[in-house]
This record gives sequence, C-alpha cells and structure tokens, in this order.
Amino acid sequence: MTQKRLRTLIAGFAGTLLLVTACTPGGQGNASPTPTAATSEKPQQGGRIVEATISDIATIQPILSADTASSRIINLIYDGIIQQDYKNGEPKPKMATFSISQDGLTYSFEINAKANWSDGKPVIAQDWLTGIKAVGKSQKTVRKSNFQDVEGFLDYCVGSSSSGCTGTAKEISGVKIDSANPKKFSVKLTKISCPAIIDLNGYTLPTQVFGKYVTDSSKDEIDTAPENTAPTVFSGAFKFSEWRKGDQVILNKNPDYWQGAPNVDQYIYKVVANQTAIANGLKTGEITWGNIQPKDLADMQTVDTIKITKYQNLGYTFISWNTLSPTVPAFADKRVRQALAYGIDMDQVIKAVVFGEATKQVAHHVPVQWAYPSSPLEPYKYDKAKAQQLLTDAGWVKGSDGILAKDGKKFAMTITTNSGNQERETLAQVAAEQYKQLGIDAKSAPEAFQGLVTKLTTGDPVIEANIIGWSLGGDVDPYQIWHSSQIPDRAKGTTGFGFTGFKDAAMDKAIEQGRNPTNGDCSTAARKAQYETFNKILNENQPYNFGYANNVLVGAQKTLQAFDPGSFSAIWNVHTWWIKQ
Amino acid sequence: MRDFIIRRLVYAVPTLIGISIITFAIARLSPGDPIRLFTFGIKDFTQEDYLRLLHAYGLDKPMPLQYVDWVTNIFRGSFGESLIYHRDAFVMLMERLPNTLQLALVALLIQLIIGVPLGVLAALKRGSWVDGAIRIFGVAGHAVPAFWLGLILIILFAVNLRWLPSIGMLTVGHDQWDIADRIKHMILPAFVLALTGIANYSRILRTETLDVLAQDFVRTAHSKGLRERTVVYVHALRNALIPVVTALGGILAALVGGALVIEQVFSWPGVGQFTFQAAIAKDYPIVQAGVMFTSTLLVLSYLLRDLTYAIVDPRIKVG
Amino acid sequence: MATTTATVGVLAPPSLARPSRSLWSNAWWKLRRDKLTIGAFIILLILGALSLAAPLFSDYVFHYRFEQQDLLHTYEKPTFENPAYLLGSDEIGRSQVVRLLYGGRISLTVGFVAALVNLTVGVSLGLSAGYFRGPLDDAITWVITTLNGIPQLYLLLIIAALWQPGPLTLIVIIGLLNWTGISLFVRGQTFALREREFVTAARTIGAKDRRIMFRHILPNVLPLIFVLAAIDIGAIILLESALSFLGLGILPPTPTWGNLLTNAVSYFVRAWWLVVSPGVLIFLTVLCLYLIGDGLRDALDPRLKTH
Repeated sequence: MTQKRLRTLIAGFAGTLLLVTACTPGGQGNASPTPTAATSEKPQQGGRIVEATISDIATIQPILSADTASSRIINLIYDGIIQQDYKNGEPKPKMATFSISQDGLTYSFEINAKANWSDGKPVIAQDWLTGIKAVGKSQKTVRKSNFQDVEGFLDYCVGSSSSGCTGTAKEISGVKIDSANPKKFSVKLTKISCPAIIDLNGYTLPTQVFGKYVTDSSKDEIDTAPENTAPTVFSGAFKFSEWRKGDQVILNKNPDYWQGAPNVDQYIYKVVANQTAIANGLKTGEITWGNIQPKDLADMQTVDTIKITKYQNLGYTFISWNTLSPTVPAFADKRVRQALAYGIDMDQVIKAVVFGEATKQVAHHVPVQWAYPSSPLEPYKYDKAKAQQLLTDAGWVKGSDGILAKDGKKFAMTITTNSGNQERETLAQVAAEQYKQLGIDAKSAPEAFQGLVTKLTTGDPVIEANIIGWSLGGDVDPYQIWHSSQIPDRAKGTTGFGFTGFKDAAMDKAIEQGRNPTNGDCSTAARKAQYETFNKILNENQPYNFGYANNVLVGAQKTLQAFDPGSFSAIWNVHTWWIKQ
Repeated sequence: MRDFIIRRLVYAVPTLIGISIITFAIARLSPGDPIRLFTFGIKDFTQEDYLRLLHAYGLDKPMPLQYVDWVTNIFRGSFGESLIYHRDAFVMLMERLPNTLQLALVALLIQLIIGVPLGVLAALKRGSWVDGAIRIFGVAGHAVPAFWLGLILIILFAVNLRWLPSIGMLTVGHDQWDIADRIKHMILPAFVLALTGIANYSRILRTETLDVLAQDFVRTAHSKGLRERTVVYVHALRNALIPVVTALGGILAALVGGALVIEQVFSWPGVGQFTFQAAIAKDYPIVQAGVMFTSTLLVLSYLLRDLTYAIVDPRIKVG
Repeated sequence: MATTTATVGVLAPPSLARPSRSLWSNAWWKLRRDKLTIGAFIILLILGALSLAAPLFSDYVFHYRFEQQDLLHTYEKPTFENPAYLLGSDEIGRSQVVRLLYGGRISLTVGFVAALVNLTVGVSLGLSAGYFRGPLDDAITWVITTLNGIPQLYLLLIIAALWQPGPLTLIVIIGLLNWTGISLFVRGQTFALREREFVTAARTIGAKDRRIMFRHILPNVLPLIFVLAAIDIGAIILLESALSFLGLGILPPTPTWGNLLTNAVSYFVRAWWLVVSPGVLIFLTVLCLYLIGDGLRDALDPRLKTH
C-alpha cells in the first residue's frame, strides 16, 4: 500500500458570479479561458436557450434515467457532488470536495456551505443518502450494481434473491454522516475499486421531497412517484417548469443557484423529428444550439448566424469480428484480423461516410480520455499488399473466382449493423466493398437494433461481423467490454458485451489491476500504465477493426456566448451562458 | 333506430376482441427484448439486474397469462406502465391526443372546404379544361408520396423562403393559446395530410354530382323552371353528399394513419409519432395502448358513419 | 332510383354464363379512345421493361454494377460524359441510374406480387363469404372488420417497426393485410350475382358450387378486379416508400425507389438531384397505375364507384 494519493481538493468558488473563467470549479488548475468568453464583455441578462434533441426525455428521476435526453434535463436541475472534467473526464469536486483514506476504502465528502436547494434548505449528506436509498428500494432502476461495493448496500437493497440484495437492514452501514456537521459524510467500500469515485457521485435528491419514498416501510413507491415527472425542488442552475410531452421541456432559471444565478431566463429542451430538422431549425433561428451531422456541415458553414464547434466524441464506431464464429473460422486467426485492419482504407472511408469528421481508432480508449496510451500504437496504415500477404500466411489463397479459400472453404462474411443509422449502414456497405477487393465475399446486412442487441449480448453465433458504436462515459474502466468474464456464453446462459469472444490472460490482468489494484493504487499514473498494456494487446490482436472516433459537431447561434462544450459535458458552465442581443 | 344502435354496438365487441389479440400478438411475438434494448451498454449491468427488471415489468410470465393480465387491467382502467417512461401508457397517449385531433380535424376541414367545391365545379364544367385539370389533380393527389411532399414543402417554405415554421406546433416559448402562431405551424402539415382527402372528395363529388344531375328529379325540377343553380345546390348536392358521409369513416382511418407519417415529418407531438417511436423502442404497453386506442376510435367512427348514413339517407334499410 | 345502384350484374347478359365478348370488346373500344389511359399504360410498360432489363443496362450500357462504389466520385452531378452518372452519383459514388433501374425491379415486384397475394386472398375469401353465407360469411366478415378496425398504415408501420422486413417479408405482410377492401367488394358482388337467373339456371342443371363460383360468378366480377388491382399496386408502392422513410422498409444495400428517395432526402443539401429522380419515378408509376385504374373503370362501367 504505497503511494496513496490523497486528494483533498478545494473548489475555487469565489468570484464565480463575475468571471466566466473562474467558474470552472477546478482545483486542478486546468480551468482554461473559454474561447467565446475571451472578450471582457459583461454578460447580458435574459433571453432563452433552445436546445434541440431528437428524442423526448423519459423521466426526470435520476435513478430511473437510462437515456441521454433525460440525463440532460436531470443535469440542468440537479447538481452532483462531483463532476468529470468536461475536457478529459477526470473526477473533480462539484457540490462537494472529496478525499480518499490511506487504505483506499473510505471516501469522505464535504458538501459546499453555499450549496442549497431552491426552497432555501441546505444540501446535506442526508440528501445524498436519500438518492442511494432510492436506488436500493427501486425495482426499475438499472443502477443497483453501481453501489454493490458500498459496505452494507446489499443488506439494504431490495431485489430478487439472485441479485445479492437481501433487504434485511434499515440503514446502509458503510455510509456515515458526521453528527456535528450535516454536510459531511463518508462512504466505506468493501474492496478497492478505482471507478468507484464516479459512481459515488450518486444521486443527490431533496430529502424533503423524496424522503417519504425511502422510509423503513416503503417498498418501490419511488418508481412511480409523481415528482419523477414533475420535480419541485432543485439544486441545479435551472428549475423545472413544464414538460409538454413529446414536444419540449421548459426550465426556468434558478435565481438562488449556489454557483450564481444563470444569465438566461429560460432553457428549453425541444424535441424535433430528426437531425435535418435541427439543421433547419438552426438556420431559421428557432433553435439556439444542437448537434448537427457531418453531411450538413458544409451547408451550415455558409450560414453566417451559426457558429460550429467541434470536439471529439467520447466513443467510437467499430467492426467487431466474432472470433468464435462457427461460420467464419478465419476470425479466430490474428493474422486475418490484422489483414482486415490493413486492408481497409479507413481514411478514405471516413471521408466518404462522415465527410472526414472522425479520427481513425486502433485501440479501445479514445484520445480525449486520460487513459489513452502515450506510447505509439501500430497505426494499421492502409496497405493492401501487406493485408494480402497476411492472408496468404494464414493459408487463404484466391481461387479462380477471385475469392479467398482455405481447405476448400470460401472466405465469406456478413457485416450486420443496426438499421436506421445511416452512417453505420453506409459504413457497412463501404467496408463490404473494400473487403471484396481483398477477395473476401463480404456483404452488408442491416438489422433492427432491438433484435441485434439481444443477439450480441447473448452471444448468438449467427453474428459474424458487426458494426456498432460504444459511448464511453464515466470511468475509463473497460471491464464490461473486454474482460474475459464478459464474453456471453450460450451454454452457461451468461450474457455480456464481450461479443468478439476474444480473451487474453495478460489483458485480463491489466484490466483487473486498473479496476481493483492489489496494491490499492488508483492514481491516474498507475492506472494509465495498466491501460497502456491493455491497449497494446488490443492493438496487436485487433478483435475489432476499431473504426473511428467521430467528431461531435455542434451548431449554435452566434449570439450564444460563453458556450464551451467538451467531450464529457456540453453544459458544464451553463449558468454563465448568455445571449447577446 | 335504437335497436340498430344496440345491435351495432354488440357487433363491435368481437371486433374489439380480435383487435386486442392482433395488437398483443404483433407486439409480443416480434423478435428482440425491450430490457436488453434500453440497458444496452449500461455500466455494471448484470444478468441478475436483467432478471429483476423482467420480473418488475411482469415480462417473465407466460404469454397467454400476460394477455389476460393486460385485458383485465384495461377494464380496471390501466393499459400498463411504460417500460421507458415509468408512467401509465394510456395517460401518456391522452396527453398527446389533442395534438393529433387538432391536426386531423383541421385537415378534414381543408378536405371538405377545398375538395367538395372542386368536385362540383368539375361536374358543372364537365369536359372543359377545368374538369380535366381537376380530374388529373384528383389522381395526382393520391400518387404523391406524402412524406416527400412534406419535406419538399419544408425546404421550400420554411428553410428557403422562411414564410412558415418547420417544426412543432408552436414557436418555442410562445403562449399555448397563441392561435395565430398555432395556425402558422399547422398550415404545412395539415395541407399535406389533407391532400389525399381533397383528391378523394373532388373525385367522389364529381361522379356523384354527374349522377344526380342526370337523374329524373333534377330534370323534373329543371323543367319546372327552377333556376339551375338552385336545382344543383338544393337538390343535387344534398344527394351527392351522401357518399361523402360514407367515405368519412375510411377517410378518418386514412387521417389517423397518415398523421403518423406527417407527425414524424413535421415533429408534431401526436399519438401516431408517439406510438411509432414506442414501437421502435419496443415499449410494449405504449404500442399496445396506441393501437388499441386508435382502433377503438376507428371502430366507433365506422359506427357513427353508419348511423349518419342511415339518418341522411332514409332509403337505407336500417339493419 | 334503386336501379342506379352499381353492380356488374347489370352489365352481364342474364342468359350467359360468361360475360359476352361484347363487354370486353366494348371496353376495349372505349379504352382505345382514352388517350390518357393508353399513355399511362405505355409509360408503365416502359418502366417495367427498363427495370426488367436492369442487368443488361448495367452490363452493356452503363458498365457499372449497382453496388459498385467510387469513393473519389461522390455526389457527382448528372452528366452525359460518364453514362453511369447520367443521373448523378450518390454518397459513396454509386450510379444513381443503375440503382434506379434495380430499385424499380424490387419496387414493382413488391407492388405486383403483394397485390397478387391481396387479390388471391381477397377474391377467394370474398367469393366464399358471399356465396356460402352463414357462419363462414360471419367468420370472414369478422376477420375483415377486425383488420379494418386497425388503421392500416398504422398496423403496417408497427409490424414493420417490430419486424424489420426484407422484400419477401414485406410482400407477405402487405399481402396478408391489404386484401380487406377487395374482399368486401367481391363479397358484395357475389351476394348480388348469386341470386341472378343464370346462377339459378346453372344450379338447376346440377352444377357444383365450385363450378358456379369459378365459372359463373368470378368471370363477372373479374373485370372490375383489374381496376382494384391497378389501384392496389399503386398504393403498395407508395406504402413501401413511406415505410422506407420511417426506416422500416426494405433496407439498403438492396435498392428500392423508396429507400433511394429516403436516403437522398437526408443528403438533400448536398445533392438535390438525387431526391428528384426516385420521387419522380414513384409519382409517375403510381400516377400511371391510378390512371389505368380510372380508365379501365370508365371503360367497363362508368357508373361504378370503387371508392
């Protein structure tokens, strides 16, 4: 147990009202001046922000939310105790500062003295506890497993017998609230877990509202609480006003926001039919900001009222090779997979599919994550000759029909992808055509997402190659995707996201050490070393063709000031945004 | 007449039972699993979590039992809780119903206001270029893919000319009761939705007016020296409108169905768009409630049509 | 006034088992003078022939396969210099004209075959229900009212959302859902024809039910079924394009007019001409089919209302 990194971070809250740059509550010194706010103009008050979305929110109850639209509204009305840096994802204080004990098991939090609810009550440790208890009581949350390492959580939570929840305890023993200071509390874990800090952000809910659903006698009433769709008390920059179902969510500014009242009066989350409607709405001025698609970029750039901001997406689109496929045994051979990486002109593909708005990806972590390896990886530059050589080495020889064959069996594969996603459908078609040039009888087959998801997570052998994307929010831990325990096994009835079937002992070890290090070292440096190894192994073995990481393209009216979206959050400084008249 | 109404209402029962079976079957027998769908990629999501959710939503029971549960719950006033929204599916539909009704009724009005005079005009000017133009329009109005027309109109009127808004029902931030704004938003979708109906009515009215004009009573009335206009408007039109009433049921069906596509094109937050998106997300309770509700509406509208028909045309044998 | 009710029986000479030649020749005589219908028919034939010959065109005229890509020549404007790009190229450099030809094959096939299924199911059930009456009629009527009770487009969209269809599934789905109108029509006609003298006559000389249905009743209904079929095919082609727009139709890389149009719509700002060609083809085809339906109806029986 060496080199404990004691993180006691004090957020710089002073002066947030005046200076846009000072409102990054960063103790880590990476608060950079925002480009749009570089001028010393004094923010004007009033106005309205209209953000466009293509799907309506599902709920305003954080413990039930499982979609990005809902979490947008939730983040605008409820502040967390911690946050991830909007550019690189490192955990940082928000409503609370935190420190980790020497043994790495106890996390202590102290909520900022200024943090208060919109009804005037202070935000206290009990409010955080209410959120965790709500997760324990809920039957419909998908977040129970996030807290299984919290001491006593399994005794508290209610669930089916197999989930480990017993529901025997009235309190969660690992959570201790300071008897002298209701804003201080600590959480004890049963084992060292590096991703825990982000999970421990939890869900700080107003006890005065939700307390009644998590009493000793309550069952799962939290799942149907009326406040889940019409919340009444807030800690975020905006207050919920109205949800016009299927149409828009209207938020008004929270004048008592603890980081200072927002400059704009209203924030509207507007549902539109599709990405084209967002582009149209931006042009007509009906929408203040929203994501646009690469295909509309050139057109949008000609609109002089619109400013385009680009940042790298926290995720990537890839082609997975099912190494266990009974119909394409070739995928089990590393040389074949490498050939499939060399044999596709990804730069050209990126140009065609997303108009060049993406970066080629050759391993799991994306460049904006701190875990992205610093030592160089094999770039798999397009090299058809090398690809053909590798295939020949692996025993695949072209027949008279120009198709590769080995032991009398032809190399044929179907690249599936989810239908309705035009980008992926195009990618599948382009990839199939390029692999045909290599002598592989490749064809693309879009399929409804609903069916595809079940096939992937249950390890259905009909999946040969598949195009899908990962979104990598939260911690950098790749356990869910790459640890050998996550390979779905039909015989055993286990499910998981390891649908390539690829496993490697050294890689498993690196993943485990990055997640639950035996020496307890959860520092970024120590974990980064593990992920260096992990990415190296993936880079060499190519169980995916890692495809590319998209650029996120955000279109905003030029009148919107202090707007500075990043890969981890677009709205991290929303209370400082203002509209220039 | 009372017996007729009662008999028709009783006939509606087996129809509704059939509809409920079809609805349930198409929703449930399709491949894919909603829980897997909305938990895909969720961190630390385990098989235990999956089984817990399956149980919490009652999806672990045998299918026939689920059907029985569903039907009994409908009689208790609940169509089940949405898997995604965690609210009662029927309540959510009702929130969106006024939006669809607004659009459909305005479209219906447009159809009648434009379609009926067009048809009569064509009949009166039979054989002239006006007749020819209206007849071609009557066919062309059916042949245009509605979504395509909608998109072209958006690009033309909203994006390029900027005369009309492109999305939603109201300018963001405007008052709910800003009628002028509402009408501006409704022009494009209601027109596109009404187009088929306009074409329909103009065709029906043309044929019917021609028919009626050739009939004895009109000729008689004419020979009695009544002015032609009076003949046409008083006698002929009344008779010619009967098939308009008959067509109403079918047209309502077309409106409800067509509204689904139009709502999608114009980001109109209606029942159709909502049900469609629920179908994509496999949110069973909403899909089932949506289909069941619109179908019941349709069955009732057929019933109403027959009733009106019986009233306006006493020649019809009741029964 | 009751005589104005339109039935085919009115036209059929009562003493004949089959409609006389004069009905057909009379109709043909009328049709030949109807330039609009003839024009529509010719255009439709040309479109059908072009689609049928798609592989020939791709091999010998355009020298471009329908799935062939060229990432260096995307969004090419329509040009005469490169025949393959006569109507421009799409987002991955495929030939729009070749894809339209292939797309026509699928769209027209889906339209015709699904309509054939509709006709088979609709006519046989309508005929049986109208002829046998009683419990069979009740059962068939129940199925029809049930299916009619669900907004058709609605039902189709939801089925398609739940099961992503390929060409074959789409034919089956549409084929099995869209027959109720035809069936009701045939049932009504059969009801009336059953009581006609020539049917009674056939029965008295000992003709079997099946013979009466297929030799005596069906031929009388048949001409007007063509009218319904033409309209049905058009409606199915439109339906396919609407399903494609919602992402639920036949999926690329298989080209159909519907998915070519849908695909192009999202690239509208880059290449508006890609939107025009499939849109025009759909519109033209459906328009022709409806015009043919109209013309046929007018020729056969101007008093008949198919709506």
